[in-house]
Amino acid sequence: MHKDPSYYIQGVMDNNRLMLARTITLVESSLSSHQEIARHVINELLPYTGKAVRMGITGVPGAGKSTFIESFGTMLTVLGHRVAVLAIDPSSTRSGGSILGDKTRMEKLAVDDMAFIRPSPSGGSLGGVAKKTRETMLVCEAAGFDVIIVETVGVGQSETTVASMVDFFLVLQISGAGDELQGIKKGVLEVADAIVVNKADGDNVNRAKLAKRQYETALHLVTPSSPNWMPPVMTCSALENTGLKEIWDTINSHKGIMVATGELETKRQEQAMSWMWFLVNEGLERWFYQHPEIKKLLPGIKQSVEQGHIAPTRAAEDLVSILGKDLLI
Amino acid sequence: MASAYEQWVELATKQMKGKTPDSIAWKSPEGISIKPMYHEDDIKGLPSVGSLPGMAPYTRGPMATMYAGRPWTIRQYAGFSTAKASNEFYRKNLAAGQKGLSVAFSLSTHRGYDSDNPRVAGDIGKAGVAIDSIEDMKILFDGIPLDQMSVSMTMNGAVIPILAMWIGAAEEQGVKQEQLNGTIQNDILKEYLTRNTYIYPPEPSMRIVSDIMAHASKNMPRYNTISISGYHIMEAGADSVLQCAFTLADGVEYVRAALKSGMDIDTFAPRLSFFYGVGMNFFMEIAMLRAARFLWHRLMQQFNPKHPQSSMLRTHVQTSGWSLTEQDPYNNIIRTTIEAMSAVLGGTQSLHTNSFDEAVCLPTEFSARIARNTQIIIQEESQICKVADPLGGSYYVEWLTHQIVEEAQKIIDEIEEIGGMAKAIESGMPKMRIEESAARRQARIDQGKDVIVGVNKYRLKDEKMDFDILEVPDSVRLEQIERINHIKKTRDEAKVQACLEALTKAAAGKENLLEVAIEAAKARATVGEISDAMEKVFGRFVATTQCVSGAYSSEYSEVNSESAQVIETLRKRTADFQAKHGRRPRILVTKMGQDGHDRGIKVVASSYADLGFDVDISPMFQTPEEAAKMAIENDVHVVGASSLAAGHKSLVPELIDHLKKGGAGEILVVAGGVIPPSDYQFLYDAGCKGIFGPGTPITQSATKVLDLIEAQVGK
Repeated sequence: MHKDPSYYIQGVMDNNRLMLARTITLVESSLSSHQEIARHVINELLPYTGKAVRMGITGVPGAGKSTFIESFGTMLTVLGHRVAVLAIDPSSTRSGGSILGDKTRMEKLAVDDMAFIRPSPSGGSLGGVAKKTRETMLVCEAAGFDVIIVETVGVGQSETTVASMVDFFLVLQISGAGDELQGIKKGVLEVADAIVVNKADGDNVNRAKLAKRQYETALHLVTPSSPNWMPPVMTCSALENTGLKEIWDTINSHKGIMVATGELETKRQEQAMSWMWFLVNEGLERWFYQHPEIKKLLPGIKQSVEQGHIAPTRAAEDLVSILGKDLLI
Repeated sequence: MASAYEQWVELATKQMKGKTPDSIAWKSPEGISIKPMYHEDDIKGLPSVGSLPGMAPYTRGPMATMYAGRPWTIRQYAGFSTAKASNEFYRKNLAAGQKGLSVAFSLSTHRGYDSDNPRVAGDIGKAGVAIDSIEDMKILFDGIPLDQMSVSMTMNGAVIPILAMWIGAAEEQGVKQEQLNGTIQNDILKEYLTRNTYIYPPEPSMRIVSDIMAHASKNMPRYNTISISGYHIMEAGADSVLQCAFTLADGVEYVRAALKSGMDIDTFAPRLSFFYGVGMNFFMEIAMLRAARFLWHRLMQQFNPKHPQSSMLRTHVQTSGWSLTEQDPYNNIIRTTIEAMSAVLGGTQSLHTNSFDEAVCLPTEFSARIARNTQIIIQEESQICKVADPLGGSYYVEWLTHQIVEEAQKIIDEIEEIGGMAKAIESGMPKMRIEESAARRQARIDQGKDVIVGVNKYRLKDEKMDFDILEVPDSVRLEQIERINHIKKTRDEAKVQACLEALTKAAAGKENLLEVAIEAAKARATVGEISDAMEKVFGRFVATTQCVSGAYSSEYSEVNSESAQVIETLRKRTADFQAKHGRRPRILVTKMGQDGHDRGIKVVASSYADLGFDVDISPMFQTPEEAAKMAIENDVHVVGASSLAAGHKSLVPELIDHLKKGGAGEILVVAGGVIPPSDYQFLYDAGCKGIFGPGTPITQSATKVLDLIEAQVGK
């Protein structure tokens, strides 16, 4: 790994693929020495970021996320957009390894010079995903990509994490046997800016329409996250390229409204703020766990709590006070 | 008084010093628990027991006297290089006692590309004969009377142009359609499952299948319009139950498609044929073939056929290519013999026996002779053919047949619940099952639970290659291109364009595609042009690659401490790597060129992820340039290129070049698959850092790859 931040900064600004790829590796690295360089790089690139349409996509496995991005992204590059796709794949909790297969379903986009696709392993911790992807997004913006698509599988809390870093969050669904709503989490409905029922093709069209109505009803029961935007439910077929243009139009009109009302600016400010707090919390946590005294005492205290010898409140107090007496709860 | 069986249990327990017979039962890969002995009680009342050969439900074979009446057809699958070279090879084989022809086509042809298409530069004539036009087809069958010779063609993707050209070539030979005899594989469903040599999406592909059936049922009464294939499913790693079930479920789907297009069951069902693969699990394979016939008869009853032949399963069998090893390759002759025996005792109608050099290269004249003689010796020296279904009534075989019937029926029911095989394939269920089975098998081999002599046991210290290797020169491509250019110059261009337009129109409408394509073929339109004319309407299909995880290591979690240790060591190393370098070792596995056999890379991807690697998988059919782009964008440490179809000598060096051109010369390249040892030095010289032949345990290749990465990034 190169030590000089300007090596990465220059490469990204030149939109050099190789350098963009290496910078993302640097940003994603779990080594603190790498993170130090990465912080410099991100800071320098910051003035060149913020102009892209940031969208997040989630959906259950089998909803056709990758196929959707293949068709949607290809449509955008034909329209002259430069599209970066950041796909987050789950790492195995047992082995730590991962299978990054997104590009197998993005055959055209993968070889499209107007597009850049980078699959990343989630690396276990969800905070980790957010950290990597958020900064990777900034790097791609600095490299001149004007549409950033963050893809994630709808497991755990990854979708809310992704929703908190994009302007537009799209939830991809498929129609099933009428029990659509069981497969969707309330939390996801709350952060969705649009629900798209994919695979509205062949003998599936009517079922897709039915599912659309069901989601519309469900959305009425949820308070929209924005006072200026009622999330629409749409249908599309990534296979037959239908409904994609309408989705793009929707994203643009969403952006128009968000800019006009000032909500976009507020949203991004809030996102930046919550990101800062997240990092602060993470830093505190790291400080806590890496404190030599705590490392030494923690196993014993854990055991005492487990066996009921001391109360959890007391144990927490003892542990936190090691960091400083004035930190007492 | 204790029964004879109880006395036997007592005796066995005594002879095994207190261990009961139950305790040494063996669990087969299919999950069937096999006892050490079978007797009368085990087969009492089983529905598949008790019939006679030639009579429903055909468990004992489709013919009354089986081989006593006429032995199976020796049908060796072959083809390479140009039409002229393959034609010479066929004629020699026919003179030496082979009875039918079976044509292997070049991967470029399979995928509907002409030889001058830059996407397929590495594939022309490598794994089969390249056919670009009717002129090539005429050369291929020059001097072979098509009214007498039964010709089987392995073609699924480009079925329309190839069948049209064959029919056209026959007509120009003076042979009418009704005289044509043979089989076209035309089994598109399994292409989406395993082999990946499709062109169009499933729906138009199923229409093509129906169009061919409809045309043949009217015009080609002696022609088998489909060969529903389990072979590739087995080769992709499926066990016998999976192979049996998925193949039959495919069959049912084709029957429904034909019925839907308005055909009568008895006009086409008698022309459906099957193609099974047999591996080394001797009795299991025999039982599988018997079970498949029983089940097919049962499954067909729902369509109320009147003709008995409509529910009679007839099959071709091929011995397993996957079971053959690069190491100590003469052992492969013995393996193939055993597999051929199980095909014969299982009651096949025709048979292909593999050449012993299959795991290293394409068959040579010598290895093809040994393979052919394997069958001739069983037929003419062993006296095995004298009695129909000699294993009928064997307690074990009948019991095992019943087990497979039961297990396969469960899977078929599951598929029916999803809505048939086409829907099941869409859901990804069959593919996941096969891949899981493949990963488990690999793990059993790597641990030595499944013994492979010369690979994981009794391995030779020094391997020496002492036989010749067939190599297809790159000049084949130039020769083909020259002929395409000549044809394009001399044909009636206006007529060709009119034919192609008619074909595009037929694709959008309802006209029979084969009928329109025959005219295009006769007008000298090329395979690529005919395929493109339909692609305009149908589009080209892009596969979705799924990959299982956890299956490989789960085989290891079973107590076996020593091999579980190897896994743990590797996992620790990948974790340590992360701690040291800030991320896990990252590998891109890719399959360049038009070869669609992706079992190998799937197993590698799945197992490496289980060992703690981050594994990128590339789309199928990539060019070296595209693979290099992906490696660079994903910033991997190493690219693992899989090659099974002789394209490695151009594809691997080109990949290395493109990486260097992209400024990423430090990304390592390793190769795996069927690569003759004599090519190793060539690849090393080109910059390839590691080569893993067939049978390399995953743990061994992963260790080496980790060593290479660590040396590259600095320990």
